[in-house]
Amino acid sequence: MNHKHSDPLDRALGSLPRDVQPERDLWSDIRAEISTPSAATRSASPRAAMRLWMSLAAGFLLIVASSVTTYVITQQAAQKKLLVAQQAAAAQLQQAPAVAVMPASFGGQEAMSAEYLRARQALDAEFQRQIKTLPPVTRAKLERNLADLRRAASEISATLAEHPNHALLQELLLSTYQSELALLGSVTNLSVPTLTSTPSETRL
Amino acid sequence: MRAIVTALSLVLTSWCAVCAASDEDTVERTLPADLRGEVEIVNLSGDVQVRGWDRAEVQIHAELGEGVEKLDVQSSKGRTSINVIVQGHHNSGSSDLVVEIPRDSTLLVKTVSADQTIADVRGVQRLQAVSGSINTQVWSEEFSVKTISGEVTVSGHKTPAVANVNTVSGDVNLADIVGELNLETVTGDMQVSMPTLNRARIQTTNGDLHLVTLLARDGRLEAEAINGDLSFTLRQPIDAEFDIETFNGEIDNCFGPKSVRTSEFAPGNALRFKEGAGSARVRIKTLNGGVEICK
Repeated sequence: MNHKHSDPLDRALGSLPRDVQPERDLWSDIRAEISTPSAATRSASPRAAMRLWMSLAAGFLLIVASSVTTYVITQQAAQKKLLVAQQAAAAQLQQAPAVAVMPASFGGQEAMSAEYLRARQALDAEFQRQIKTLPPVTRAKLERNLADLRRAASEISATLAEHPNHALLQELLLSTYQSELALLGSVTNLSVPTLTSTPSETRL
Repeated sequence: MRAIVTALSLVLTSWCAVCAASDEDTVERTLPADLRGEVEIVNLSGDVQVRGWDRAEVQIHAELGEGVEKLDVQSSKGRTSINVIVQGHHNSGSSDLVVEIPRDSTLLVKTVSADQTIADVRGVQRLQAVSGSINTQVWSEEFSVKTISGEVTVSGHKTPAVANVNTVSGDVNLADIVGELNLETVTGDMQVSMPTLNRARIQTTNGDLHLVTLLARDGRLEAEAINGDLSFTLRQPIDAEFDIETFNGEIDNCFGPKSVRTSEFAPGNALRFKEGAGSARVRIKTLNGGVEICK
């Protein structure tokens, strides 16, 4: 404490007045200026309003522009995602084992004729070739349905082995084999028109 | 003002970007055609709408998608062919076609990933879709519909016709078809309404059927299911002989005698009876599926 009072600078600062009064009252002039706009200010008002509207319009247009740009970018991104999904599905299908051609027989009693088996094998080979050109989802459906038909045929054939004289089972098995052939045949001659196709290849 | 100009140019740039992104070309063509000629339409992806009209002209409005090389239109000897030619199998965009054709034309439509909508075409129709629905109206000419994956909806006009419908995967809805029907599905449910049935052969591997009809005198109905329920509502008067058998399924009938078990050791049922003089024949077979017959 004693040290502080002994400092000449402290003493000088302490001797200064606490308040300083202005030489004249400025506030009345400021209030007058605020409450009474000048001529220049009055003439600038429409221009300021115009500028405000233009700024608003520009802002609006920028919002529209950015929205449109965002829309385009998101659409492109969605298309890319779809493409990636399709490619993934296609890759998955390629990795999946092909639907096995079951040995066809009537309840294990009678083997199908060699001619029938050859025709079936040829149709199956063509089927496997043609479905590669189809969209992955369609290809998956076809393979699932072919598998269903073959499973049904196997089940009927197995049941027929237990009931060898069952006429209904024989009819249904024959009919299922026919459906299998029809399904295999439904995608043969299937082609889409491309630049490399000949006119005869445009048959579906 | 500069701000507006800048903003406007930004907007225009964005719109151009949209135009470039959609990358669609519009093609309009009108060709003279025979009133009873043939029109073939092939489209890989998109929509195909065909409408019949009374002019001797084929009018095409096409929105061609990305990856489409051109719209090939050819006309010769009463035959008009419209092909959307693409650059590759998997990278084409969607192309939409709206085609007006003479009402009595023979129409052939082949699509891969495209829906078909046909209206007011009264000639023969042969429609094929690999993946996509088919919706058409038919009159008295033969029609044939084949889909690998897609729903089929056909509205008839109670005029006799021969109908062939074959789907691998997809539901089928046929209404007001009269005459002869060949219907086959591997997977898909079928709703069929035939005011009068002369001949019908219906076959399904995995799917249910509901058929509402009046059997014509001497009519023939054959239905078969591997895994699926078959249900029939027959309008009176019923004059038919019934032969129904299931390997593993119940038979419920609202008229005639009750079904009997085919074997003591197997779950199958059979029902054979005659209603009226028995002029029509009804034959129904299922492996795993029930049968219901009501009036």
